[in-house]
Amino acid sequence: MNGFRLLSPAQIALFLGSMAGLLAGATTVALAGGSVVRTGTSEPRMTIEATHLPPLLTRAGEEVELAYEAFCPGGDDEGGIEAPCEVTGTVFARPTSKGSFASIPLETATSAAGRELVATVPEEIAAAPGGFEYYATLTADSASITLPAGGASAPHKSVRLERPTVVDLGRHVFGEAHRPSARVAEASWGTGPSEVGLETGRNLPPIGASAFDVGRDGSVYLLDEARHRVLRWDEGARAPQQIPLSVSGSLADMTVAPDGSIYVLETVAGPGGSPVLLRFDRDGRELGRGETADRTASQIRMGARGPVVLQQPSHEWMPVTVRGTMADAEAQRRSGRVGRPVAAGGDVTVLRRGDEIRVAITTGGGTRLSWRVVSDTPIGEVQLAEPLGGGRLAVVFRAFTDDEAEFIVLVLDSHGVRERFSVSAADWAESAPLGRFTVVGSSLYRLGSSPQGAFVDRFDLEVGS
Amino acid sequence: MRLPCAFFAAFLTAFALAAAGSAGAYHTRFVAERCHFDAPTPLASITRDGSTTIALRARREGYQWGGGCWNNNDVDDSPGDPTSDPATGGEGPDCSGLTFKTWRESLDTGNSGAYGWGRFRYVHGPYTAAAFKRGDGAPNKTVSKSALVRMDALASDGHIGLFYASNPDGSDQIVEAKGEAYGTNLWTRTYRGSTSYSGVRRAGWSS
Repeated sequence: MNGFRLLSPAQIALFLGSMAGLLAGATTVALAGGSVVRTGTSEPRMTIEATHLPPLLTRAGEEVELAYEAFCPGGDDEGGIEAPCEVTGTVFARPTSKGSFASIPLETATSAAGRELVATVPEEIAAAPGGFEYYATLTADSASITLPAGGASAPHKSVRLERPTVVDLGRHVFGEAHRPSARVAEASWGTGPSEVGLETGRNLPPIGASAFDVGRDGSVYLLDEARHRVLRWDEGARAPQQIPLSVSGSLADMTVAPDGSIYVLETVAGPGGSPVLLRFDRDGRELGRGETADRTASQIRMGARGPVVLQQPSHEWMPVTVRGTMADAEAQRRSGRVGRPVAAGGDVTVLRRGDEIRVAITTGGGTRLSWRVVSDTPIGEVQLAEPLGGGRLAVVFRAFTDDEAEFIVLVLDSHGVRERFSVSAADWAESAPLGRFTVVGSSLYRLGSSPQGAFVDRFDLEVGS
Repeated sequence: MRLPCAFFAAFLTAFALAAAGSAGAYHTRFVAERCHFDAPTPLASITRDGSTTIALRARREGYQWGGGCWNNNDVDDSPGDPTSDPATGGEGPDCSGLTFKTWRESLDTGNSGAYGWGRFRYVHGPYTAAAFKRGDGAPNKTVSKSALVRMDALASDGHIGLFYASNPDGSDQIVEAKGEAYGTNLWTRTYRGSTSYSGVRRAGWSS
């Protein structure tokens, strides 16, 4: 009390006010989330994570071995010491759509990467004229996983290529990239109304303009995820329209329906732990929201009956709407298929196997057209495989070495290559991994970026429909 | 009237300063309450399967620039860390920290031995993504991108991710700590074909 006697009433008021203010300010920030600690379930639960590269397209005489790798990431590992994970499994296989599934036990084997479970498909099933279909269940203790997730309702299909057209590309010559026919959309990096944003944050390579699409009317849609909107260039317009979208961003993919609806596939997980799907009308009003069935999803595209999403580890295209509303996980799983359903009818199935690409157009369970593209230069991802009509198919894939990379564009028909050229990677900023190309009519469009901004280029195909 | 005015003026000033200060110095209690600094466990051998399991346990956890401590509850326990502050004490590794712990390396860059750290051991390790890309450190080396095996890595000057599996279309599934908005997870990526990325391998696997 002696100390207070030295202070005037005004000084005491100032002191008490300051103390109260400091306490209230810090408490307010803490309660508002400035010091968040969110706690989920604390005990790791037993789970199985598995991966399997399905032999979607096989050649006559090829031995078909099915290999699965499985892990138990749910257990404890304090100390970083190896934890045993004893997984057993069974494959169920049959000739496509015929009879009951035969049970084939998976056996343990060792690959260059470690332990795997393998089964050889019996010749009478593997050599069936229409190919074969299969699924597997893997079990460890109380946990299990089915691949693909739809099991017997939507099994993997392996199609036999009887007489594929073979295209040998030899060694790719880098540095002779084709010039685009036109630049149809362009935006500088920035924060202006006609500029496109880059994601910010430590440890992030530049990420921006993650996806695009082109409408039948020539409108170009660019997903400016960092600024939560789409920029739309109408045919002939110099400046884009802005369509705000309630997206979180994060390397999202996008497709635009014929009615102008915009579908966005986020890569970050929603409350259910899987990537989020969003549907908007042409003005950006949210019409629906859901999640994918599988833990990972890499592409969303328009199929013959609505949008489909390529999901992993099932490696199947799953429809994500049912009669216009978002499909739940079970409905997605039940309808998965290994080929992408295309608007013109039929499916396009792609398999990159080493430095070879196998592609087939299938209808009604049979193979209508198929190709094997072989290369002396390593092949990366297949960005696009799109029928052009008249028995032609556009294929775009990446050729790479440890120092160089370009995209190779092929137009294929039953005789071989109708057109071939390469385009620069133009990938300064990271975008959705498989969203760099699309085809509309006889034009190929590419999303590209440079340190200055993002752009969409058009390449007119000489042999288009 | 003067005394109440003085009180409220002081209150408002202090409130604003405290609020700004607390928000600017955002940090969670995750590292302080959950993580430790125990010595690592020397390991006689390591396998790619074991490292795959360690990497997958970090899935759906948070991201912390410069960090290296997380649990296994499939939740980012400290969401929304400001990316400008490397010391927010939040959950999760960054990309090179995840690689270091998954590859079970030593803090001594000249030591190629194997050391188990555990999820709750707060450690980042001595390597940046760029250092991994160069193959710095006794256990690390560059490798052709067309020869990657599970738990090899793809590294650029600013990022590194661990190769998990190939997809039928030729893209890859990568386990990575991508950023605060992303957390740590398994995603499809096309780093292999990008000229920004090089292949990197940890030596010394027992299988």
